[in-house]
Amino acid sequence: MSEAKVRRVVLVTGASGGVGRGIALACGRAGWTVWIAARREREAAEVALEVDRAGGRGHSVTCDAADRESVAGAVDAVVSCSGRLDGAVHNATSGLSPRPCDLAEVPMADVADHVAVSVRGTYLVAAAVHPHLVESSGALVVLTSEAGFEGKAKLPVYAAVKGAQRGLARALAREWGPEGVRVNAVAPLAATPAMSEAFERDPEMADRVLARNPLGRLGDATDDVGPVVRFLLSDDARYVNGLTVMADGASCPIT
Amino acid sequence: MTGPHTAGPLVIGPDHPVVAELAHALGADVDRLPPVQPVADDHAWGWAEPLERWRDRAAAAWAVDAVVVSVPAVVTEPRPLAAVDPDEWTERVEGALATWVAALGAAKARCADGGAVVAVVDRPPPLDSAGWAPESGVADAVEALARSLARSEGPRGVRVNVVTGPGRVLPERIVAPAPSLPTFPGRLDAEVAGAVRLLLAPDASGITGTVVHADCGRSWR
Repeated sequence: MSEAKVRRVVLVTGASGGVGRGIALACGRAGWTVWIAARREREAAEVALEVDRAGGRGHSVTCDAADRESVAGAVDAVVSCSGRLDGAVHNATSGLSPRPCDLAEVPMADVADHVAVSVRGTYLVAAAVHPHLVESSGALVVLTSEAGFEGKAKLPVYAAVKGAQRGLARALAREWGPEGVRVNAVAPLAATPAMSEAFERDPEMADRVLARNPLGRLGDATDDVGPVVRFLLSDDARYVNGLTVMADGASCPIT
Repeated sequence: MTGPHTAGPLVIGPDHPVVAELAHALGADVDRLPPVQPVADDHAWGWAEPLERWRDRAAAAWAVDAVVVSVPAVVTEPRPLAAVDPDEWTERVEGALATWVAALGAAKARCADGGAVVAVVDRPPPLDSAGWAPESGVADAVEALARSLARSEGPRGVRVNVVTGPGRVLPERIVAPAPSLPTFPGRLDAEVAGAVRLLLAPDASGITGTVVHADCGRSWR
């Protein structure tokens, strides 16, 4: 089935800004229907308009990725309106992601927030989209991080939840493969508001991050990361399954 | 941490037969974590306060040279993720992650300068992981936590590594081909404990941030 003839329908969580917005715009450039699922209603609607201008069809739906009813409602809204779902991207992450912590002292309330958005969010999104992706032989992409491979001295809980997402995606690929659904993960390194905040909190971090990157720059969410996710959602990647793709310019020493 | 300390090893883990067996195999004392009970109201994290209290108390105790952390998976039957209900999810994943964070946080505080920490985690081999998404997620989270500690504690000479064992999280029939060694999946008191001893020993003084799959050749990564 040619993608030029069928407008692919995808949902992206946490797409009201940052990497999620870049993924949405990259999918919009391919002419796809893109649902911006985010808690911030106004910002989500603005990104939906950007998707329109990029050549796709943008829609927005309010979604708290940590809340079962909210996720189920968002997915129901997508399928009710667009009639199908070909791909889903769980990109939303805790607002605490760039904030340093000490593993011996981190408040459990902060741990709960990280786990709720990233890990529970993966579970809730996966459970909600599964029947629709089976119907469309679609694909799920989970946004993880190089932190999930190599850990982070000052961001151990963030690293843990990103690692958990990799493990979930790898197992789901084996679980859903027999049903014709692919599951992959992407570990991006991109200039985002969260990365800017992390650099502000740790001024030496920018030097550390860039010094080991052979390309010498942070990725662009729309031009560098978004197309990788779009590829994994597309039929061009129909034999790619259970993989974590590093979209980080070879920054991470582990793959 | 440079105050008074003992050689150890010390095992940190919940009151669980696996923890007791591992401690026995290592000749170690056990510092027991409080139980993480399933909760009636969805995702309430009612265990947060007891875990914080336990961690603060454990962190203030004497340092040891060798700390082993074991938080056994809540084993059920393999089940498709979409069929896992919220309470089961909370117990198998969120309770497990909270417990690992508290336990490794305490291990960081308890481990003396120049010492070693080993996390022992149930990990389904990738080939056999269908139906074990929760445990696969927790195992990879532990790997990232351990590597984070390897980075933060390395400057004071503390090494942090992971040993994985598959024996408790396998399907009834594993995927072909057969594992490399006929002893698969190995035993806690033999293959797993042996790998722990290896990583705690001075011979492993240059090894940190590493994951050793004590699964008889089932996982090569």
